[in-house]
Amino acid sequence: MDNQTTWQKIWAWIDYRGRREGGIGFILMRLTAIGLVVYLLLHLTMLTNLARGPEAWDGFIHLVEHPFFILADAVLIFGLLYHAINGIRVGILGLGWGSRLQAPLFWGAFALTVILTVAAVAAIVSIG
Amino acid sequence: MWIWQAITGALLLVLLGVHMVAQHFVAPTGLRFYTDVVAYLANPWIFALETVFLGVVITHALMGVRAIILDLAISEKADLLLKRVLVVVGVVLFIYGVYVTGMIAF
Repeated sequence: MDNQTTWQKIWAWIDYRGRREGGIGFILMRLTAIGLVVYLLLHLTMLTNLARGPEAWDGFIHLVEHPFFILADAVLIFGLLYHAINGIRVGILGLGWGSRLQAPLFWGAFALTVILTVAAVAAIVSIG
Repeated sequence: MWIWQAITGALLLVLLGVHMVAQHFVAPTGLRFYTDVVAYLANPWIFALETVFLGVVITHALMGVRAIILDLAISEKADLLLKRVLVVVGVVLFIYGVYVTGMIAF
């Protein structure tokens, strides 16, 4: 491990080959974490836009009504829900509970994430 | 560190839930219009909620960033520098976020 380059270390934690549910859950947790940190910075940028006044805000709202942003919203909602639901799973396992159920808990968390993402995107599309 | 990540994560589940419900279901028109956003943020309870939410989300996010970087097996010296940088980044982001929200609200 110590002889690995930084890129090899980065690749090692996103390389899903040979991993089981716990490893895949960990990779997804890391990727969604990075995505959510980027979103936090974008959210603060949006707040800056809001402080510029009504014209800037209306322009921003017009921009995010583009279908691309519906897709981006879907990715964001998936990432947020997965990170939150799998975070509960990690917390439960971290407290020493349900370690024998960690694989079904992963698939349960993943299925719940997909169901809630579909429901949320359907709600967004229906509101318009 | 794990326990603080878990505590802030649990707090975020509550705060994010309240943040989403307040913004998208309680506020009229779901904050689509500028005047609604200003009225929403000018409510002192909402301003306090958003301030606490911002502090907790920044703490959770930056502890997560450190955890990810620690996976790359950095030296103790680099970790010390990383902690200092993340504290500065966190404080700057928090002050900036509260300042901008205050500018909009008041």
